[in-house]
Amino acid sequence: TRLAEGTPRRSIQLSNIVEQRIFKDNEIISTPKRSRSKLTDEAADADYVPKMSSQKTPTRPRRMSTTGTAKQPTATKLKESAPLTPSQKLKKIRAGELSPSLEQRHQLVDERHKSQLQLAREQLHVSVVPKSLPCREKEFDNIYSFLEGKIQDQCGGCMYVSGVPGTGKTATVTGVIRTLQRLVAQDELPAFDFLEINGMRLTEPRQAYVQIYKQLTGKTVSWEHAHTLLEKRFTTAAPRRVTTVLLVDELDILCNRRQDVVYNLLDWPTKSAARLVVVTIANTMDLPERLLMGKVTSRLGLTRLTFQPYTHKQLQEIVTARLAGSEAFKGEAVQLVARKVAAVSGDARRALDICRRATEIADSVESQPGGAAKCVTMLHVQQALAEMIASAKVQAIKNCSRLEQIFLQAVAAEVTRTGVEETTFMGVYTQIETIAAFMGVALPAPGRALHLCSKLGAERLIISEHSRHDLYQKILLNVSADDIHYALRVEGN
Amino acid sequence: MHDSVQELIKTRRFLKERLQRDYSTLRGYEAERSNVRQLLQRTAEMGESNSLLLIGPRGAGKTTLINAVLTDLMENKSFVDNTLIVHLDGNLHTDDRIALKSITVQMRLENAADGKVFGSFAENLAFLLQCLKAGDKKSKSVVFVLEEFDLFCTHHNQTLLYNLFDVSQSAQAPICVLGVTCRLDVIELLEKRVKSRFSHRQVFLFPSARKFEEYVALFQQLMSIPSSKELQAAADRVDSLQLLKSEAFTFQRNHFDGVEYNFDKKHMENWNKQIVKLSKSAAAQKTLQMLYDFDISEAFLKTFIFRLVAQLKPEAPHITAEQLTALAAQYECDDKVELLCGLSVLELCLIIAIKHHSSIYDRDPFNFEIIFARFSKFAKVSSTMQGVERAVVLKAFEHLRIIELIMPLSSSGMGKLQKEFEMHKLALTYGQIQHAVQRYQALPTEVAQWAQSSLI
Repeated sequence: TRLAEGTPRRSIQLSNIVEQRIFKDNEIISTPKRSRSKLTDEAADADYVPKMSSQKTPTRPRRMSTTGTAKQPTATKLKESAPLTPSQKLKKIRAGELSPSLEQRHQLVDERHKSQLQLAREQLHVSVVPKSLPCREKEFDNIYSFLEGKIQDQCGGCMYVSGVPGTGKTATVTGVIRTLQRLVAQDELPAFDFLEINGMRLTEPRQAYVQIYKQLTGKTVSWEHAHTLLEKRFTTAAPRRVTTVLLVDELDILCNRRQDVVYNLLDWPTKSAARLVVVTIANTMDLPERLLMGKVTSRLGLTRLTFQPYTHKQLQEIVTARLAGSEAFKGEAVQLVARKVAAVSGDARRALDICRRATEIADSVESQPGGAAKCVTMLHVQQALAEMIASAKVQAIKNCSRLEQIFLQAVAAEVTRTGVEETTFMGVYTQIETIAAFMGVALPAPGRALHLCSKLGAERLIISEHSRHDLYQKILLNVSADDIHYALRVEGN
Repeated sequence: MHDSVQELIKTRRFLKERLQRDYSTLRGYEAERSNVRQLLQRTAEMGESNSLLLIGPRGAGKTTLINAVLTDLMENKSFVDNTLIVHLDGNLHTDDRIALKSITVQMRLENAADGKVFGSFAENLAFLLQCLKAGDKKSKSVVFVLEEFDLFCTHHNQTLLYNLFDVSQSAQAPICVLGVTCRLDVIELLEKRVKSRFSHRQVFLFPSARKFEEYVALFQQLMSIPSSKELQAAADRVDSLQLLKSEAFTFQRNHFDGVEYNFDKKHMENWNKQIVKLSKSAAAQKTLQMLYDFDISEAFLKTFIFRLVAQLKPEAPHITAEQLTALAAQYECDDKVELLCGLSVLELCLIIAIKHHSSIYDRDPFNFEIIFARFSKFAKVSSTMQGVERAVVLKAFEHLRIIELIMPLSSSGMGKLQKEFEMHKLALTYGQIQHAVQRYQALPTEVAQWAQSSLI
């Protein structure tokens, strides 16, 4: 081992010294190629030796493994001591040996000294998923009985879960899985594997194979390879195979024109050897009929479940469950949030975000002298709702310059005149001439009016074409004419 | 004498640098600033995950607000130690692949080495998500600043946005996604699952100078020389910034630094008095009112002042109201009329012929033959245009087309038609042509008369 360790290092140092000496002596004669190598040499002077030695390390175990495996431990020890080159790191990442990590904080988050509002704010964060989801008991039971049955019977199957975003689909399914895993730990249920992929976390549908295989083994391989390996795993019978539960989130992204990925994912459960249970989640209820081919829809089956948007009562229950006896919120404040959100979308995330914003507003009021608010009242919630739901278009029109306002008025006037939504710049400019003369403002030249037009177009108060079309560009009003009147009239008085 | 020249050059340089390179001084926007600041502070100190959109018209100071907030926060050590800042720009990171590589480099993840990222796009995404998933409250907060946020919405499937917002809404590493855009309706661009994950915090930045008096005050402030005490305070702030030498800030390297300048007290007072006097004068007020009517953004005023300051010379050491008016006149004038005045008489004749055709046939499209016939009618009876050949007129017509005073009807069907028969439309208003005819130097009387009447 000493020989093997010594020789390469000595040779490196030797070559190193030789190169440096040669180039320091006769700098003028050196060929361009050599001078380049010298440049890199000088630039990375300190790094040079360890880099070379670490580059040599991977060759060494390979060479030694031909002679004998007994020397393997020393080789791995050497590898650990030397810093890895990026390509070696990549190899390790692909093999799943290097655990991904983030930089750590210098000081930890201070967990003490938290006011009631701060605690409430933490509890209201969307990321804090409660142990049991309120108002989803029926759906929970439904999925639970389906999965438990499949695992007990040791057969495969499919399920399709749909609902608009923010109705608790993924949270419920993962909650069921967690319950089942607890049962497995208590030996009340046969063991099963749980795999999870998300369509939106993939760069293309075929990467699904890679992700599934990675969760099975930890290795990253190409999708073709992963596909054949998974095919082999699921189609050949093996004794003592445990059931695999696969959760596929955002199913619609996995659909491409050929639909081979979706087909494979739903075809494997039909194989008797696979013992695969697939739970698919998507937003639209009629996705299988609308987007998928007949054979895929047929394999997806009719075991379906729809998550309805939350009603205001349910939203109120969710928020109060999170607050759990805390006095931070007034009862009617929660009710206002629940009613407003349920009327728009029934999205739990939205309700929680608005509540969180309301605590922030209450906090900032508290910090000011005079206003001491220990809890969130209706006023705070109203302000939060105004911030997060209201549109700012009227505000934007009010804050336009005078000529921009005239431009908007001109577009509205042109729409009224022609009766068509779409106007051209030329028509609008004639209206500007009229309005400017009427109001006694200096008329802007067409070039400057085009500038105004593109400025308003950037804000999307109007929709305009590229200004290369000059006088002939088409202009659409993106705000309603009533908004313009409201913004300009109310301000005027 | 020599001293005053030195002082003037120093003043000019100072004002110019302050206009151009002062990236982190924000005027106004108290509520918005504290809102963003508190959000970032909570992300850094408590490990909260958040998302926010900063919306406002172009030139309203969105980037300056972020720079100012980050400068403020960089002063306290706990923020610097506990956060990574990742800057992304929709104009530079045109797809998720490039954006992801940039994120990997800026977060200094394991698969990046010296700005080079290893592995494919899919691997990079998977590795980034794994890293963020592995993180918890103990790991550093990451602040993502997405400038030109609306362009990120055009990426395929909005994968990057979905994943960033998803991390901010799940129990992973604490991150803050800060989108900056000028589009008011940007939320409508998001897919509904991305929209659901976004926290709907929007901060609107509308120009702070809503009243004309504030605009004049801003003009005064931008023109005047601050006292040495204020200069020192600003310089201290810049110094603390440069002490940190954080890689997250690229603007600090070339930041405006007031400490280099120390003005003579007398000169300073004189100058400021002069500026106050100037801005009170009626002519200056009128000019400023004109600018204010057109565009109330600070960026627009700054370009105007820059041109004004650039006129400072030892011969004319003060800014006068006349200079202001002259410069404003340049802003007001019509470039196309200038262009028309630079045409030859033949080309102007063609334009007049086109105008006549357009006014008779109510802006119907025309081709060379139509216009040439109309021009020939005039040329026959005119004494100055008789010998003009057809080829010369065609050349003039083509020249008009190249400078885009006339535009082809369709850009696609070009190859089919001969160039004499291709239909065009006029890209000028009649008012512009009339102006040009009035302003044209040494226009033959015949042409001027022809322009008045369309009888021929």
